[in-house]
Amino acid sequence: MKLKTTYWTWGTVAALTLAVAAQAADSVRLTSKPGSKVSIDGTSSIHEWTVEGAIIKGAFEVEPEFLSDKSLKSVKSLTTDGACPKAEISIPIRSLKSGKQKMDEIMQEAMKATEHKEIVYKLTAMKVKGDVPATGTPVKFDTKGDLTIAGATQPCEMEVTMNRLDDGKVKFIGEKKLKMTDFKIAPPSPQIPGMDRITTGDDITIKFEWLTAPAK
Amino acid sequence: MTMLGGVPILAAEEKPAAAPEGTTNYKGETPPVNVGVIGCGAWGREILKTLSTITFAPVVAVCDHYPAYLRRGANLVPKAEKYADYKELLANKDVQAVIVATPSHLHKEFVLAALKAGKHVYCEAPLATTIDDARAIATAAKKHPKLNFQPGLQNRSDKQIVNLIKFVRSGVVGTNLCGRAQFHKKMSWRIATSNPEREAEMNWRLMNATSGGLVGELGVHQLDIANWFYSATPVSAEGVGALSHYKDDGRDVFDNVSATLRYPNGIYFNYEATIANSFDGEMGMFFGSDAAIMMRERRAWMFKEADAPALGWEVYAKKDQFYKESGMVLKAGATKQDAQTAKAAASDVVDEKSGLQYALENFLINSYNLGAGVKDFLDTYGEGSEDDLKAFLKEQGKNREPAADYQDGYEATATAIKANEAILKEGKLEMGKEWFQLA
Repeated sequence: MKLKTTYWTWGTVAALTLAVAAQAADSVRLTSKPGSKVSIDGTSSIHEWTVEGAIIKGAFEVEPEFLSDKSLKSVKSLTTDGACPKAEISIPIRSLKSGKQKMDEIMQEAMKATEHKEIVYKLTAMKVKGDVPATGTPVKFDTKGDLTIAGATQPCEMEVTMNRLDDGKVKFIGEKKLKMTDFKIAPPSPQIPGMDRITTGDDITIKFEWLTAPAK
Repeated sequence: MTMLGGVPILAAEEKPAAAPEGTTNYKGETPPVNVGVIGCGAWGREILKTLSTITFAPVVAVCDHYPAYLRRGANLVPKAEKYADYKELLANKDVQAVIVATPSHLHKEFVLAALKAGKHVYCEAPLATTIDDARAIATAAKKHPKLNFQPGLQNRSDKQIVNLIKFVRSGVVGTNLCGRAQFHKKMSWRIATSNPEREAEMNWRLMNATSGGLVGELGVHQLDIANWFYSATPVSAEGVGALSHYKDDGRDVFDNVSATLRYPNGIYFNYEATIANSFDGEMGMFFGSDAAIMMRERRAWMFKEADAPALGWEVYAKKDQFYKESGMVLKAGATKQDAQTAKAAASDVVDEKSGLQYALENFLINSYNLGAGVKDFLDTYGEGSEDDLKAFLKEQGKNREPAADYQDGYEATATAIKANEAILKEGKLEMGKEWFQLA
């Protein structure tokens, strides 16, 4: 009797292990790699400005077919409504640099970086747009997501281009025009001694090149 | 001050204009970096005083093995932990950056231990009094790319001088011919003490066994400017010196010295120092075929040749008279807009910040940014390959606030040490290029 119980237990463990393995195989995870780039462009009363960074944290989780089927036809989350790959990325505000420390500090204050250290984006929908080339690259997507800056969240729709690189890495490229005031950020108007007051335009453009690779 | 016409260009502070409606006045706050200071002698205390004026420089620890100095240092920063043993200061996890302000010949032990303990390091200039020690310090700094190392060559951070060098890079001087620098100040250089046992320890500057001499201790900053101005290191040094005035007090360091440094392309630079006469103080001159530049402490003037190309802003320039010559004031932050104001015309203030303040501020800003960059990179991409991190740090390094790095520190220190050697042997030293290279 005792022996039988043991068999049952081992059987349960084996079944569970298989189930977990099957679930794990349901998705692949692509994680951030060095070489990622992000920038924000804006305007001001004296000149245009840009801040740049090289830190994009996060992961893109999708069915394994994403790697094997370059046509993406079998990747349901990218072709059927209601399904979506899982992606959440974040950018530390302090990693964005203008080349001028004082400007960086003003930007960090405007973006309330002490309380909200990161810009966060969460993907909610991603669908292939147009034809996928036979080589599988580049592919355009229509995406929807939630973008959180300075603690304020706004829906964010944008076209994203995916490039499959020779070394197996995958790069997602996109850009989005935004308004600071949509995120409750008052455009900075710093007073630099000896100059007229600078005013910053409300419109900004955020651009990114997110380099990822399948996690080992 | 004699005015020779034209409108002066000055970086005068004006009252902020009333903010237009809907504008914001973000000032931005620099993140703090916790500082520990090793060495509370006169210069260490000057550093502590300056740090107390910087909002993002909380001093959390001070150290000196001499109780009277430790007490005097601690009085300036009452909240700081006091240590007689620097190893305990380095073991304090709250300390993120260490400033080494001990006698020059003792720097190496503190700097190497601080880097090993994972602290950012500011090491006073000269880095050392021997080539071996200077090389060991600079090499260790190079091997710790995740830590910020800054030699105390404060001119490299001083907005006034950074601006001057940028201006010179525009080619206004023409062909570089020669230059000179001097330090004239009547002072015994001896530190008085009632404790005879401390006598030798405190007066390390007066003995060749522990001192870089006048050129090493005082000249290093002026020689650094020459290296920086010419974007080069010297190829030879010749020198003479004498102990003339203070010869009866037991010292063996010369009180009058002169050295000639030869730079590439035939340029030569004379350095001369005396602590027995004060006439004409501290100054530097750089002569070119189109103009001469004069530096006095943190101020600079340009004397143009009659046949030099017009710059276009001569009419706006503030000019000062020096005997028969008229020099155009060169000053950071000067704009034509400033020149239109009456206050600017009246003001003769160089800069509200000292060179040391610029240097310490930039050290802490760069330390924070480097630390934050390394952390963000590793949190995001993991340890990964060393090359990826190096490439990232190289890119990030372009945003560094102006400051000397380990290479600048090593080159200035080696230049001063070799100039002192030439002075002591009263002869000529050829300086191999390899002397200035680090492994």
